[in-house]
Amino acid sequence: MGKVMFKHHLNVVTWESTAAAIDARIHSCKGSRNTAHHFFFQVMETERTGIARAAAMQASPHCPANVPQPSSEEVTSGADIISTVEFNHTGELLATGDKGGRVVIFQREPESKNEPYNQGEYNVYSTFQSHEPEFDYLKSLEIEEKINKIKWLPQQNAAHSLLSTNDKTIKLWKITERDKRPEGYNLKDEEGKLKDLSTVTSLQVPVLKPMDLMVEVTPRRIFANGHTYHVNSISVNSDCETYMSADDLRINLWHLAITDRSFNIVDIKPANMEDLTEVITASEFHPHHCNLFVYSSSKGSLRLCDMRASALCDKHSKLYEEPEDPSNRSFFSEIISSVSDVKFSHSGRYMLTRDYLTVKVWDLNMETKPVETYQVHDYLRSKLCSLYENDCIFDKFECAWNGSDSVIMTGAYNNFFRMFDRNTKRDVTLEASRESSKPRAILKPRRVCVGGKRRKDDISVDSLDFTKKILHTAWHPTENIIAIAATNNLYIFQDKVNSEMH
Amino acid sequence: MEFKLEAHRIVSISLGKIYSARGQRGGLKLHKNLLVSLVLRSARQVYLSEPGCPPEPPPAPAGHPEEEPPPRTAAWAAEEPPLPPPPQDEAGRDCPGPRPRRCCCGENRGGCAGAPPPPHCPRKRSAGERGQAGSPLKKPRREEEEPPPLPPPPSPPCEQEDMETGNVASLISIFGSSFSGLLSKEPKGRRRPPLDGGEAAAGTAPAEAAAEPGQICCDEPVLRTLNPWSTAIVAF
Repeated sequence: MGKVMFKHHLNVVTWESTAAAIDARIHSCKGSRNTAHHFFFQVMETERTGIARAAAMQASPHCPANVPQPSSEEVTSGADIISTVEFNHTGELLATGDKGGRVVIFQREPESKNEPYNQGEYNVYSTFQSHEPEFDYLKSLEIEEKINKIKWLPQQNAAHSLLSTNDKTIKLWKITERDKRPEGYNLKDEEGKLKDLSTVTSLQVPVLKPMDLMVEVTPRRIFANGHTYHVNSISVNSDCETYMSADDLRINLWHLAITDRSFNIVDIKPANMEDLTEVITASEFHPHHCNLFVYSSSKGSLRLCDMRASALCDKHSKLYEEPEDPSNRSFFSEIISSVSDVKFSHSGRYMLTRDYLTVKVWDLNMETKPVETYQVHDYLRSKLCSLYENDCIFDKFECAWNGSDSVIMTGAYNNFFRMFDRNTKRDVTLEASRESSKPRAILKPRRVCVGGKRRKDDISVDSLDFTKKILHTAWHPTENIIAIAATNNLYIFQDKVNSEMH
Repeated sequence: MEFKLEAHRIVSISLGKIYSARGQRGGLKLHKNLLVSLVLRSARQVYLSEPGCPPEPPPAPAGHPEEEPPPRTAAWAAEEPPLPPPPQDEAGRDCPGPRPRRCCCGENRGGCAGAPPPPHCPRKRSAGERGQAGSPLKKPRREEEEPPPLPPPPSPPCEQEDMETGNVASLISIFGSSFSGLLSKEPKGRRRPPLDGGEAAAGTAPAEAAAEPGQICCDEPVLRTLNPWSTAIVAF
C-alpha cells in the first residue's frame, strides 16, 4: 500500500495516513456450504470514510487553498457520500464518485499463488477531484459538484479512461501509470534547474530509471454546455467512439474526441412547458448494437430507439409499458412507477428496470409487460405517505446484473441489499454494515418481518433505518464480486466458494 | 372525511416541498418537482371530490402556502368537465359530481343543481380569488377574453381576498408554468386514459372545451397569464 503515491490533479497530496485508514481486509472463508442459498459472500471490506475530512484536517502547506474544505455542514452531511460506483470492463478497477466531486479508483491486487487467501483485494489506486462547484450567473444557480455517473471506456492502450459527470458537465479522464523517469539531462540538473552551460563539458544520453509507481490523472476532454437540465446518465457506445448523455428532457450524442458540439437525439421537451408530464430518468446504449439505445421515463415506460431510423429519435421504435394495476392505485402510484435505473443485460436480450418497490426484467421482444417482476420491499407499500413526507419516496435506487445475467441485485433501506436468482427464483436480503460483517464471516441473510411470526434477528418494518440507503451497487463483469455503497462507506464482497457455479 | 383530511395534508406537504425546493442547492430538480405536482394533483382531486365542508382557511397576509391550496385548487376544479372522475377518486363517488361545482363557479351560469351553499363557499370564494390571482396580469386579460354571456366573476367575495393575491401570485411563481400547466390542464388530463401521453389529448381538448364556454374562459386566462412563468422555467 505504501508504495503507491496518489497524485491529485491540482496538487500532490500524500495519502499514507488516510491510506492506512483505508484498509482492505481479506477474510478467509471457512464456513460450511449452505445449500439453502447459493449466494453467500465473504467480507472484503474497503472503507472509504473520511477521505475529505482527513484532507481538510491536514491543513498544511501541502494542502493549498483550492482543495475544497468541507464546511461544518458538509462534514456531517457528507461530501463523502458515494454517489456512483462502477467497475471497469475487466473488473480490475473500481471507480467511485462522491458528493464532493471526487473520484476514487480502486485496483484489484493481482492474485498471488503464494497467498491464496489474499487474492484480489481492492486497494486505493488513485484519487482526484473531478468536478468543482460552479455558479451559473445567468440563472443564479449553483451547479453541484456531485458526481452523478462514472462510465469506463473500453481500454485501448496502456492508459485507462473514464467519463465522469455532474449535473451539467461531462469530463473524460485519462489515467496513466508512470514507473520510470529519465535521468541525466544535459541542460537540466536533477531538480530541473537549468545548468550553467559552461559547466557542461560532455554530452550524455538520458537514461530511464525505475521509480516508485505514480498514477497520473489528467482531464483530456471537457464536454460542457450541452445540457440545460440535470444530467442523470451517460453511456458509452459499443462503437467506442461515441457516448450519450441524458438529462431530464434531452439526450445528446457526443463523439469522444469532439467537445465543441453534440447531436441532440431525443428531445421530449414540450413546446409549452406547461404541458410537461414526463421526464427522462435514465438511458443506456445497447451493449452490442451501436444503433440502439433505451431510455426510461418518470411514468414507468421504456423506449427503445434506433438511431438509423432518423436523426431525432423522438419517435421510439419500441415502447415498453405495463398497464397499471388498478388495485394498487394511490396518491403515490405515479411516483413509485417512475423508473430510477435501466440496465441492459450482458447478452443484450433483456433490460432490467428499477422502480421504487420492484425490479423488472423486460425482454426486448415483448413490449406489453415485463417477463419477470421481483418485489424488493413491498412492505413499504402501506407506508408511502410517510416516505413521501420524508422524501425517501424520491430515492433513486440502481440495479445490476451479474456477469452471466442469472442474478440481479439492487439496494434497499437499512443498508440492506437484495439479490434475485432468475433461475431458481430464490432471493436473499443481505446487509452491508460493519456490525454485521465481522471478520471471517459469511454474510448472514436478513429478513424483514411484516407482522405475524417473528424470528430471531428479524427486523420489523418500523425499525428500518431509512437514512441508511443503498442506492448504488455494482457487480464485477465476470466474477462474483460486488461493490456496495452505503452512504459514505464502500463495501466489497466476494463470493469465493461458489465462484465455479457462475 | 378522513380521505379529505389526508388529501389536504398531502396537498400541504406537497406545496411545502415545492416551496422549499426553490432554495435548493443545484437548482430546481425538475423530476422531483414534477412528481410532487402529480401527487398534488391527485390529492387535490380527492380532496375536491370528497363531500363535506373543508375548514375555511383564514386569509393570511403573508406566506402561508399550505393555506392557499384548498381555495386555489378548488378554482381549477370548477373547470372540470362533465365526465366522471377517474378511478382514483373512488372516495368521491357519493359526491353529486362535478356538475354542482361547475355551476357554482360562476353561479349565474345556470341553475345550481341544488347543492347547499356551505360546501361551495370556498369554491365561490376561490373562483373570485382565482380571478384576482396575479391580478395585474390576469385582470385585464380576463376582461378581454370573457365572452359576453359570462358576466364577470362575483366581486364581493373577492374583495376580502385582495390581501391574499400577493401570496397567490408568489405561489404561481413557485408553481411556474410546468406545474400549473398540469393543474390547468386538469380537464384535458382527465379525459385521457392513464397511460396516454398528454400530447394526444391536447387535440381533443379544445373541441370538448368549446362545448363549455365558461370553461374556456376559466382555462384561457389561467393559461395565458401563466405563460410568463414558462419563460422562467425555460430559462431554468
